[in-house]
Amino acid sequence: MNWNNVKLVFLREVRDQLRDRRTLFMVAVLPLLLYPALGLGMLQMTLLFQEQTRTVVILGADDLPPPPLVDGDRFDAQFFEFPSDSDKLRVVTDATTTAELHDVDLGQGESDAEVVSVADQLRGQVNDLVRLEKEVESAREGGDAVEQEVLDARVAAIKGEVGEAMSTAGIQVLILVPEGLKQHIAEMNTNLADGQQDMLDVNPPRLQIVRNSADEKSLMAYRRVREAVGNWEDQLLQERLASAQLPESFPDPVNPDQIDLARDQQLAANVWSKLFPAMLIVMAVTGAFYPAVDLGAGEKERGTMETLLISPATRTQIVIGKFLTVLLFSMGTALLNLASMGFTGKYMLSIAGAGQMSKLGDVALPPLTSMMWVVVLAVPLAALFSSLSLGLAMFARSSKEGQYYLTPLLMVTMGITVFCLSPAVEITPFYSVMPVMGPALLLKAMLLANAEVSSLYWYAVPVLLTSVGYCALGLWWAIEQFQREDILFRESEQFDLSLWVKHLLRDKDPTPSFAEAGICFGMIMLLQLVAMRFMGGAILGLAEEQVPLRMMQLLMIQQLAIIATPALMMGVMLTTSFRKTFKLYWPSLKFLAAAAVLAPVLHPLTVELSQFLGQHFFPQLPESAQKAIAPMLDANQPWWLVLLAFSIAPGICEELAFRGFILSGFSRSGRMGLAIVMSSVLFGVMHMFPQQVFNAALLGLVLGLLAVRSNSLLPGILFHIMYNGIEVMRNRIDPGFWTSAPMDWLVTVEAVGEQTQVRYDWPLLAICGVIASILITWLVRHGSVFCEDSVKKSSDSDALSGATPA
Amino acid sequence: MIEVSDLSKSFVDLKRGAVTALERVSFEVQPGEIYGLLGPNGAGKTTCLRILSTVLQPTSGRAVIAGYDVTEHPQEVRASIGFMSGNTGIYDRMTAWEMVEYYGRLYGIDEPTLQSRLEDIFETLQMNEIRDLLGSKMSTGMKQKVSIARTIVHDPPVLIFDEPTSGLDVLVARAVLQAIEYLKGQGKCIIFSTHIMREVEKLCDRVAVIHKGRILDSGTVEELESRHNQPDMEELFFELIQRHDEELVHGGVGIAEGV
Repeated sequence: MNWNNVKLVFLREVRDQLRDRRTLFMVAVLPLLLYPALGLGMLQMTLLFQEQTRTVVILGADDLPPPPLVDGDRFDAQFFEFPSDSDKLRVVTDATTTAELHDVDLGQGESDAEVVSVADQLRGQVNDLVRLEKEVESAREGGDAVEQEVLDARVAAIKGEVGEAMSTAGIQVLILVPEGLKQHIAEMNTNLADGQQDMLDVNPPRLQIVRNSADEKSLMAYRRVREAVGNWEDQLLQERLASAQLPESFPDPVNPDQIDLARDQQLAANVWSKLFPAMLIVMAVTGAFYPAVDLGAGEKERGTMETLLISPATRTQIVIGKFLTVLLFSMGTALLNLASMGFTGKYMLSIAGAGQMSKLGDVALPPLTSMMWVVVLAVPLAALFSSLSLGLAMFARSSKEGQYYLTPLLMVTMGITVFCLSPAVEITPFYSVMPVMGPALLLKAMLLANAEVSSLYWYAVPVLLTSVGYCALGLWWAIEQFQREDILFRESEQFDLSLWVKHLLRDKDPTPSFAEAGICFGMIMLLQLVAMRFMGGAILGLAEEQVPLRMMQLLMIQQLAIIATPALMMGVMLTTSFRKTFKLYWPSLKFLAAAAVLAPVLHPLTVELSQFLGQHFFPQLPESAQKAIAPMLDANQPWWLVLLAFSIAPGICEELAFRGFILSGFSRSGRMGLAIVMSSVLFGVMHMFPQQVFNAALLGLVLGLLAVRSNSLLPGILFHIMYNGIEVMRNRIDPGFWTSAPMDWLVTVEAVGEQTQVRYDWPLLAICGVIASILITWLVRHGSVFCEDSVKKSSDSDALSGATPA
Repeated sequence: MIEVSDLSKSFVDLKRGAVTALERVSFEVQPGEIYGLLGPNGAGKTTCLRILSTVLQPTSGRAVIAGYDVTEHPQEVRASIGFMSGNTGIYDRMTAWEMVEYYGRLYGIDEPTLQSRLEDIFETLQMNEIRDLLGSKMSTGMKQKVSIARTIVHDPPVLIFDEPTSGLDVLVARAVLQAIEYLKGQGKCIIFSTHIMREVEKLCDRVAVIHKGRILDSGTVEELESRHNQPDMEELFFELIQRHDEELVHGGVGIAEGV
């Protein structure tokens, strides 16, 4: 690799970007100005913001017991934590309107009188509502569904009427004071003071507070009313206790004292640990995308791409130079944004000082070591996004098309970000090897700055290693894009669906194209998604003992309809050679023999591996998945049905789709290794649950190898059926068989709950390992005459698609 | 210097299905010679020259430039050619000097040699007044000059010009043609494609008429004129193309073979 050329390309691109006003604006000016501007704006908003006064109507205010709850047209300010809050509610009472009508100016008095009269008419309906709801309750308890429905409808109707009336009259909260409340409370107090504690307080008159919690205004007003009324009630209680000569602590015998261990710094760390990873991800994406579009699609658009292609720099050197440029800008954007946001946020909060925002605590910036981690983890994140953006940008014909690709990329990353922000999600070995999630969760944990930082360093290794891997994959893809003539010289032609369909049906090849294989997989996944709903519905309401049978029937239908059918249909419609596409040839016997040996030999190895990973690495299998495989372990089901559902149907259907149509399509790329890896990754992805994904992808490699080397689907089918068959039978065979003479040192039988589970021991695993590696090595090295032939043929017709003539 | 034998290129197009852009094209060009490719738009000229510049891969056939095969040693081929076409633009956000200097460095010319070479080229092509002008501020003529300077900065033995005058006004086109003639005088091996007869008559030592991916006939202008009994190059061109199209319609296979 000539790094000199990479450096030349890199330096030129950086200079070019720095001369571009748009990039400079996005990368440097925007973050430096945006956050201070946002901060100022928010400050102004808080100054300008004034909450509107809401109206509360109290009917029967004269019956309110002392101390006075209402002071003029406001609640008494002493009942609010912030006394100024009392100005946010206007209280209209029937007492005021009658007694002080002459003091208030006429217009206000009249409208108040109107409001009160509206409220007065509602009193009856509210009482009906209370009564009806009680009836509904008793109907429900009595199990009278019809009666309940009728009553429910009436309740809903009254609620609607009352709500309507209140909102037209501008009443946010209506308080109904029952007659004689004042007198009742006074009596109670006297009785208590006199020591007549035996007097029962049966069915006391209660205050009714009517609100509409579906209405924001009403909800806000209600929160304030509740605060005022609650504090007022506390005072009532205090007075009652005092008159009865009871201690103040009477209603709170325990009254726990709350002690919070969080220090200010940790509170601050909490804020940063949420903000920084999220901002880092979003800004790394945007910071990578715009320069990438300019460097990829923009270069094509401006007509300088071909100039660069005819220079001695190789395409790999050009892409790496461009990638480094994008990486630099992505990191620059992300870190500048974080710095600007951090300092602005801290400054604004320190200004806000004594205000309500001070509740957030002193938001000190994270310590230097945490900041170092921000920088370190910004590198893999930015690198991954840079390579992805660059690949997309190379694919796009124009800058405009390139920008369209930003949305899906951003949506996906936003989804992952939101997931990582959730407080329940913490870094685990499994998440640490996931792209984007690993760095984001690690950073979150680092910023939280709890005592266990040292254990986090262990996570840094897998996070960084896998990140490098993902980034390398992304870069490889970008280089791949850049090597392809049909992508470099794509012309902006109008996309015409009918033309495209015509092209598919007219220009058929013996085997499917790369894209058709991808579409086939997409269809399988889509159908699976649709089918999930029906699968769930089909076992609903079945008796317990019928479930396993129905599950197996569904499984077979799913295999046939969702996996095999799309592949077969596409094979018939889109290819000229059904036989070649699905490799329906008779293989040489040695491959069948290899498959027959590999299946039993690989089974113990993969089972133990996934057991191990399941315990130490993967998240727990969800209950639904366990339910789906339960029939396999159910000894009451006939063995032939279980075999049919779990081994023969998948063995044939999945092979037709994945080693048939999809592998044939991917093979057209001309690289067999890549085709096998891709088909097995997709085969894994189809299995949904992480454990199965991993296991299936591994086996997919062997299956792909068998199919390619034998140029036949049969060895794969044999392997698949045998492998699944062993899995089914392993736990059905009488445990006594395993524990008897020759088997007992190869196999251990463990009890798992009610069932027994067969586990393989080290000697057996060692033997299997040796045999498997010999056979796989043989397969890998075995004469690849057939492959070279097909590579040559495919490159003729495929690689040149789309290049334009002069 | 340039040897092309049986070069073919095909690709898949949505509208037309499999398309053969170039079909078994063969020719040779010697140093100090200008070889013209004459053909209408879409004849396959650009495809052919893109293969020679290693930007596209041939479907079959062979092309050797300055002793290097285009598929086996693309980097060496690119180092020994200068390529200029309507599609090789210049950067908007680079000055003329930076642009040519950048390519000079990519060609691996050492710094002192590069600087003196740049001075020479800027002098010869009279580009000193646009030295520090950004590409975005240049006129078409100025851009074309920068492109020529970029093409010859590493003093390549082989030069490929793909319709270098298309879209230029008379004055600039003339200057470009003069530059090409000057380069021929320096002993370069030049291949030049165009659809303008006058340029061929004026500039080319030998010419190939190319249409629908095939070379219909080739030779010196005089040879062609006498062979087809047509004193006028333009008439000759139309006659060749018309005859080829008629033969295609009648399903005739016996098309005049290229050299």
